[in-house]
Amino acid sequence: MSLHDVAVEKPNVERRLTIAKAMSEAIGQEMEQDPSVLVMGEDIGKMGGVFGTTTGLFETFGGDRVRDTPISETAFIGAAVGMAASGMRPVVELMFVDFFGVCMDAIYNLAAKQSYFSGGKVSCPMVLMTSVGGGYGDAGQHSQCLYATFGHLPGMKVVIPSNAHDAKGLMLSAIRDENPVIFMFHKALQGMGWLGTVAGSINDTPESEYLVPIGKASIVREGGDITLVGLGATVHQALAAASNLHDAGIDAEVIDLRTISPLDRETICASVSKTGRLLVVDDDYLSFGIGAEIIATVSEALPGPLKCPPQRMAHPDIPIPFTPVMEHFLLPDAGKIESRVIAMLGEKK
Amino acid sequence: MTDILVPQGQWEPDQEAALATWLYGEGEAVQKGVTVAEIMVEKTSFEIPAPASGALSISVREDEIVLPGQVVGSVE
Amino acid sequence: MSSNHSKRLWMYAQMVKSRHFEDLIKPAYFEGKTPVFNMAKGPLPGEMHLSDGQEPCAVGVCAHLRPDDSVTATHRPHHIAIAKGVDLNAMAAEIFGKKDGLAGGRGGHMHLFDPAVNFSCSGIIAQGMGPAVGAAMAAKMRRSDAIAVAFLGEGAANQGAFHESLNLASVWKAPVVFVIEDNSYGISVPKSACTAVANNADRAAGYAMPGHHVSGNDPDAVYEAARIAIERARSGSGPSLIEIETSRLEGHFMGDPEAYRPKDEVKRLQELDPIPAYRARLVADGFEEAELDRAESEAREIVDQAFSFARSNDYPEPKEAFDHVFA
Repeated sequence: MSLHDVAVEKPNVERRLTIAKAMSEAIGQEMEQDPSVLVMGEDIGKMGGVFGTTTGLFETFGGDRVRDTPISETAFIGAAVGMAASGMRPVVELMFVDFFGVCMDAIYNLAAKQSYFSGGKVSCPMVLMTSVGGGYGDAGQHSQCLYATFGHLPGMKVVIPSNAHDAKGLMLSAIRDENPVIFMFHKALQGMGWLGTVAGSINDTPESEYLVPIGKASIVREGGDITLVGLGATVHQALAAASNLHDAGIDAEVIDLRTISPLDRETICASVSKTGRLLVVDDDYLSFGIGAEIIATVSEALPGPLKCPPQRMAHPDIPIPFTPVMEHFLLPDAGKIESRVIAMLGEKK
Repeated sequence: MTDILVPQGQWEPDQEAALATWLYGEGEAVQKGVTVAEIMVEKTSFEIPAPASGALSISVREDEIVLPGQVVGSVE
Repeated sequence: MSSNHSKRLWMYAQMVKSRHFEDLIKPAYFEGKTPVFNMAKGPLPGEMHLSDGQEPCAVGVCAHLRPDDSVTATHRPHHIAIAKGVDLNAMAAEIFGKKDGLAGGRGGHMHLFDPAVNFSCSGIIAQGMGPAVGAAMAAKMRRSDAIAVAFLGEGAANQGAFHESLNLASVWKAPVVFVIEDNSYGISVPKSACTAVANNADRAAGYAMPGHHVSGNDPDAVYEAARIAIERARSGSGPSLIEIETSRLEGHFMGDPEAYRPKDEVKRLQELDPIPAYRARLVADGFEEAELDRAESEAREIVDQAFSFARSNDYPEPKEAFDHVFA
């Protein structure tokens, strides 16, 4: 029921956390041992973040290291860049990724280019954590994913955990990374109490310190007939689809990307070499997206033809509509994945 | 066998509480102190820690209304 | 200084209309979301930002506006849309995601567009201010005396777009009025914790425009400040900033546990509810109870009809989602 890397053994007794708890635990543990780490953003103080990402941190560390900011993204993200250049390790929250429009310069022109413009002398060890995803009626300006938008721009790492275990390990890796890391967390997986949470995102999360490497995808289900690549919420949809497909005699391998950039092309290509079929599922906009990048990678790298043309499934190139009949019609889900896989394998349902 | 109880005295008597989430399934192994379930009281959530280590038994399902002190499951 | 009888009656009626609208939204919003709150569920999924307590800001300003005056508003738009004269049936249908909503359900509660009365709103803080400057400039370039009003919260006064828009409006002498609804909170953060000045009206001087501070959440006081600012804009003298002390009686969004607010604060604010206070003042000023009762029941009737319309309206066809991406 819970998500795990097939390579990692499950413990006998699990300590399950939500992604929100895993993130705040990781940040808190790192703040304990590294005085240069601080966290800031809107409503992340006493409120613990609108998405629960900083629960308990204000009480433990106080207002100097856990700072509520005004609604001034350009200024406080710019300030984070400056703090990072001056030896601190800021963790900053951009409440919704959709708000990037007001502060993108600080991210893609400053944070992402600090190392390059300084010939490697000045790094930017900053984490920008931000919520992504829709499917709950928050409409066109509060439901976007923008994986491709951020993945496309050089100089920053972009990660998205699908479960609490990976969320903690990736957050620790992100804070320790010398480079700017965009840490995306999907609202449908967060576990913050005012929105339903996909059960598989709540999984065993050791209390001790451990790292999940940035740039390494995870094979969360082994199979031989087709490779399904997902990230965030679509990993769980792919797993649900794979379970039903298994009953239909189709064995799907599911890859959880975990990192968007740098993309783990090796793991993807090895899997597709094995299965001969590829379907990429993401809930970002379709064109110029994650699916396009992965299909291009596979087309470039693999010597022989695949068993069927590679495919991608995503939200169409239109603003995310409010009304649920439209929104759910457009977003990927387990049922749509199943139908597409069956069509790809040439079998009738 | 140890009962898992809804916390008492943490919210007003006129507020409605419901069992929002079980973090573990029937029969799964849980460790004492770890959060096993979440209660929602209107819009605030409260955690219920496992009172003992052992196998979980669930008697109240998700989305059901609960009262302070009510038994929602047990650990064997 | 008091506004005339019919304007004051209109303001009262709009406030009642607005509050009744929110009062019908609340139970509809919680349908399907209990006993465990799940924002995705029910006939009104997603976020909901109600305007209870802030009605004076909308009516005091919109009392001076014409259909050809433009208004941009925020994620908390209902009271302003109503006062501006947005088609209430279509607005309710849009909020319910139905096919005869203002955008056929595509926009929802934070993205209401009604070109018939030049009203629009959107969800990213302070970003409606630039468009208001633009609408004002379009009127100016067409040689019309139409104006534009941008509504914003006090939290938005710390966003870059605020400063840029005020400066630009001043440099271009745009016929625009910026109206700050100061309800003291940006979600959980109080104004005192994040704003360098005690009064945002003082920031107006930094952009060479008049700044009006209105206290008391009083429709008549808002009306007077708006009269001065709007006359100034219409006469071609340029922009103004109005800051209104108001109160947010509900949480930031429906479902907000509001743990950051002192317990007795909300109770105290409810005692200062501007609607019964205004009624009491009108009666003291000689308005007949019967006239006020009539205005109230008419207002409520219009809202009841709008909800009826919205509830019975059909959902759109899913594939219509692809329409209107491009005009």
